[in-house]
Amino acid sequence: MSSSEDPREKLSDAPRHRQTYRDLYDGREPFFPNFLLKEWIIGAMFIVGFLIWVLLNKVGLGSIANPNDSSYIPVPDWYFLFLYQALKYYPGNGEVFGAFLVPVIVTLLLIFLPWIDWSKNRRPFKRPLATASMVLVIIMMSWLTAEAWAQHQAEVGGSAAGGSSSSSSSGLPFAVQHPTSTALMATSMPGYQLFENTCAGCHGQNLEGSVGPELRGIGNVASSSQLLPVITKGFPPNMPPGGGLTNKSQLQQIADWLSQQKQK
Amino acid sequence: MIKRTYDWIDERLNITPLWRDIADHEVPAHVNPATKMSAFVYCFGGLTFLIIVTQILSGMFLSMYYVPDINNAYYSVQYITNQVLLGNVVRGMHFWGASLTIIMVFLHMLRVFFTGAYKAPRELNWVVGVLLFFIVLAFGFTGYLLPWDQKAYWATSVGAQIAEQVPVLGPYIRLLLVGGSTVGALTLTRFFAIHVFFLPAALLVLLGAHFLMIRKAGIAGPM
Ligand code: HEM
Repeated sequence: MSSSEDPREKLSDAPRHRQTYRDLYDGREPFFPNFLLKEWIIGAMFIVGFLIWVLLNKVGLGSIANPNDSSYIPVPDWYFLFLYQALKYYPGNGEVFGAFLVPVIVTLLLIFLPWIDWSKNRRPFKRPLATASMVLVIIMMSWLTAEAWAQHQAEVGGSAAGGSSSSSSSGLPFAVQHPTSTALMATSMPGYQLFENTCAGCHGQNLEGSVGPELRGIGNVASSSQLLPVITKGFPPNMPPGGGLTNKSQLQQIADWLSQQKQK
Repeated sequence: MIKRTYDWIDERLNITPLWRDIADHEVPAHVNPATKMSAFVYCFGGLTFLIIVTQILSGMFLSMYYVPDINNAYYSVQYITNQVLLGNVVRGMHFWGASLTIIMVFLHMLRVFFTGAYKAPRELNWVVGVLLFFIVLAFGFTGYLLPWDQKAYWATSVGAQIAEQVPVLGPYIRLLLVGGSTVGALTLTRFFAIHVFFLPAALLVLLGAHFLMIRKAGIAGPM
């Protein structure tokens, strides 16, 4: 074979290397099918990962809704926890502020962001105020979510430790056994009047419960010293700390009276 | 055969320019994860859309068995979970997909925020995006009640209680949501209607606007 027939022989005017696709490619490409196929690779991995998660994590179903069981400890889905937790810090009238004013302001800030952060700068470090605010918001939301979850776990755990038979039906730290006798006891104690004025709106004039749970027979399962911290802490946002009372001796009187409610 | 059918339709309706516009527009290098791995943050919007599509599909299958009334809702969900072929998987997809949608929307919003992509000329699309965000949250809120278990019931009761705190309008908002004095039969039917008719309609309209605006303004340039 003569050398001139060797196919590897360089032709005089041919480029030294064939230009590869890589050399021509500057990253720009048509949306379909080129780009979408690549995005679909990410999409496919995303869907497969999602399906594996779904198969490994069965979804449960609690017990059927019971509108009469107001002792159930409510909890929103995880992505609302930060809001739920934020509301706990606005007891009493502050709830208007927490449930309305703050969310409205935040929403408006979000919607009008392009006109608030109006400069032409796009780099995060060239607009430190916007960037710092968003980072702060993310940290706050994460913290509130974690805090809400920890508090919820503590409440649910507390009710289990208190001897509640079914953790899903009773949110009370003390199990109350719906006694058959309904008469109030020890109504001459000072705690009685305090209860009627402050707590009865939710727990009922005769402890029968309405917004808050029934408290008849609470004295059978809890002592005054056990009740005091529970009342003082409350169950925000459903029950404000101390039921709205802050006076320590009044709270003590209510706890004393409640511990005498030993209806059978 | 397929080509002849296509040509036949195209001659009459001239559909080629419609999809050609979408197919041929150039995608810049800085959003292409094939050129730079870190560009995957630009996929978050597309992934949100993908997971929303699976939500719509799994939701359609769930609605074949779900019964929106207080006597049957719980048992129909129980039936889907325990009896229907692959029912637990479809319910699992819809349940976990809800959380994933929220996560992806949030990540997408953060991408847009930190790349400053909401600035002129894309302000309107940011506003549409914020509305989409609230629609997605509303899907979560209304969907949470539908299984009608204790968790569902009491979370909605508290939600309604919180809505009532709004000054002046509070009681009306609560009534609009709940449909009566307590969470009950009327609440379930209206949450169902909102979840499967009102919100999807709003979502699709807004998504249409969102995508149209992306096509018009183009994706924001490199940083
Ligand atoms: C239902 C949820 C949403 C879907 C399916 C969606 C989808 C998309 C897609 C596919 C893009 C193209 C670029 C990308 O993928 O990053 C995009 C861009 C954009 N989105 Fe969304 N989006 C949603 C929600 C939002 C939200 C909540 C916001 C902001 C509050 C938002 C604001 C924007 C803006 C401003 C652009 C243009 C960004 C640019 O030009 O670089 N979107 N969206």
